Amino acid sequence: MTAAAARAPTGPTFRARFGRAVPYLLLAPGLFWLLFFYVIPAIQMFTYSVSTGSLETGFVMTFTSDAYGKAIDQFGKQFLNSVLFGGAATILTLAIGFPVAYTIAFRGGRYKNLILFLVIAPFFTSFLIRTISWKILLGDEGPLLAPLRHGLGIFDNDLPILGHGAVIDGRFSILNTAVAQVAGLTYNFLPFMILPLYVALEKIDVRLLEAAEDLFANRAAVFRRVTLPLALPGVFAGSLLTFIPAMGDYINAELLGNPSTRMIGNVIQNRLLLQNDYPVGSALSFMLMAGIIVAVAIYARLLGTEQLTG
Amino acid sequence: MTDRNLPLNPDLSRRRFLQGSAMAGVATFLAACTGTKTGSSAAPTGAEPSTAAVSAPPSVEPSPSVAPTPKVVSGPLKFANWPAYIDLAGAAGDAGEYKPGSSPSLEQFQKQHNVKVDYQEKIGENASFVETIKPALVGGLPTGWDLVVLTDWMASKIVANKWAEKIDQANVPNCTANLRDALRNASWDPGNDFHYPWQSGMTGIGYNATALKNNKIAVPTKIADLWNMPPDKVTFLTESRDTFGLVLLKLGVDADETTVTPDQLQQAADAIQPLVDGGLRFTGNEYLQDFGQKKVWGAMVWSGDLASSAGPDDHFVFPEEGTMIWTDNMLIPKGAANKYTAELMMNWVYDPKIAAQIADYVFYVSPVKGADVEIKKIDAEAATNPLLFPPADIVAKQHKFQALSDANEKILNDLYSKLSGT
Repeated sequence: MTAAAARAPTGPTFRARFGRAVPYLLLAPGLFWLLFFYVIPAIQMFTYSVSTGSLETGFVMTFTSDAYGKAIDQFGKQFLNSVLFGGAATILTLAIGFPVAYTIAFRGGRYKNLILFLVIAPFFTSFLIRTISWKILLGDEGPLLAPLRHGLGIFDNDLPILGHGAVIDGRFSILNTAVAQVAGLTYNFLPFMILPLYVALEKIDVRLLEAAEDLFANRAAVFRRVTLPLALPGVFAGSLLTFIPAMGDYINAELLGNPSTRMIGNVIQNRLLLQNDYPVGSALSFMLMAGIIVAVAIYARLLGTEQLTG
Repeated sequence: MTDRNLPLNPDLSRRRFLQGSAMAGVATFLAACTGTKTGSSAAPTGAEPSTAAVSAPPSVEPSPSVAPTPKVVSGPLKFANWPAYIDLAGAAGDAGEYKPGSSPSLEQFQKQHNVKVDYQEKIGENASFVETIKPALVGGLPTGWDLVVLTDWMASKIVANKWAEKIDQANVPNCTANLRDALRNASWDPGNDFHYPWQSGMTGIGYNATALKNNKIAVPTKIADLWNMPPDKVTFLTESRDTFGLVLLKLGVDADETTVTPDQLQQAADAIQPLVDGGLRFTGNEYLQDFGQKKVWGAMVWSGDLASSAGPDDHFVFPEEGTMIWTDNMLIPKGAANKYTAELMMNWVYDPKIAAQIADYVFYVSPVKGADVEIKKIDAEAATNPLLFPPADIVAKQHKFQALSDANEKILNDLYSKLSGT
């Protein structure tokens, strides 16, 4: 005690100073990450969105809101498409992913790791190639529709009784419709839903379920009152991991949709990369980002933020 | 943060960034090059990226490059072209897709001049291809290409922006001698200082006979017949000039690049909108894949493609209302590493023998005088093919819809942007 007091006037030792700095040093990589990959690009994007000019003449910041006006005016439909299709894909991944995650977590047994591996196995292939293969799967003459169209290979197209196409008519197609697009989004983001759900479900203490049963809850009630609330952090994380990228996705719309089903990602891609219309492209990106932040804030509020730390 | 009140010009940083990244690409490209000449010529550009970025119009002074073009063959010649646009032999010919070694014309060129040609089917539409090289052009950097093929309207913009190397006419005697008269004196480059046509073609209608027959739809003879098909089985072209031009003809409006009015463009857009609502799509050259997968029953297509690269059921028709006529042009992008070799290539394809060989495969209209004579020797049937040699009644109904005024172009872009959803 006395030794410490005697040393005090000389100021804190290097060790003490370092000790105090440790939390900040540990945070530094994360903070730099945020700064370089979020804050600076966001500022940059905002400056572009209030600029005028072209790639040839250069962009000058004029603080005009023209780009925002044009973006809202012209691309409302694409924003709506993003919300609709992104939302539909999120709900579908949840509907498909929850039973899968539940089965792996509670019934997987020694095959747990194998099934988890199978969930991610397709993702060893590139995103683009997987989406393009949906074009083949869902194509008019693809493995799904061709048998239906040609009467499972038994009947010829021209049989008068069956008309053209035995089960479906020759016009019916799935590719380049909203259905194909949502299917592609759902497929592409499914693991992002399954994995967080699995983690949440896996953590549930089985004794809690047994306790609920001891208290005369039937299986539905156990699920509703115990399993589901405990899995909510997983649902929350999974739907964010699915909805946010699905909203901004443009590959699926480009390859599987048609001009009426374009999403906001397509517009941003087109404006920034093809038309060099940086102001409108940036305005759209900025609005998308702001919209997502607001939506996530509301969602977090509804589900309860404390669940996030789960 | 204090310097935020300075006139912030985001372009500077962007341009500098682009230059940096392009530089990396150039470096790898150069490393891949065998020619020592190219390395030294590009080095000064790499040494002063910051100064180049500060001077607003990048130092791409049209150097008097005619005299000092060294007559040294260097390679590989980087050649970007559209799909199904050069003669192909063997399996690649059947598939309609270029593979290295599959084009007799290119093989003969490589042997003749002992240089490699890196030919790539990179261009599916003008705008999206040019956007890939534009940052380099704006920044005054090499694009990585030595020869590109662009349609009139885009080629004229490249020339107007001084983004093309001036052709040394002494290196291209075949071109000066054999360019068809009708294609001389283009308003945007009257002396052919920067371009020579690659092929001309027409935009009309393509259809799949089996699909139409199975669904009891008559074979189209008019553009209007495309409106009788289910819209989700029809594609129009991302080249909006072609699409709008044909729709104007369908509406009974004379599609003429000089007289078209904003009202007429609006009418065309209004005629297309119901089809878009029904699932119509816009494509570039990928319509060849759609035909291959039997995804389209009818489409707006370019005249030669279906004959050269599609199935036996896929046919091209000259619509009764008329066709769009256009020319795709060879240009040497500014800063090309192998300019002399590119000129040799231009000269090569203007040899009537080679031109006939190419025309016989691609089914487009050759710009080369004497190709008609040569083609008789290799394929007598081709000499009477209306795709290669359109008869007078078809020529009479060809419309030029390329050189729109800036105001009309902006309107067209906006209308097309709305239709295509982006």
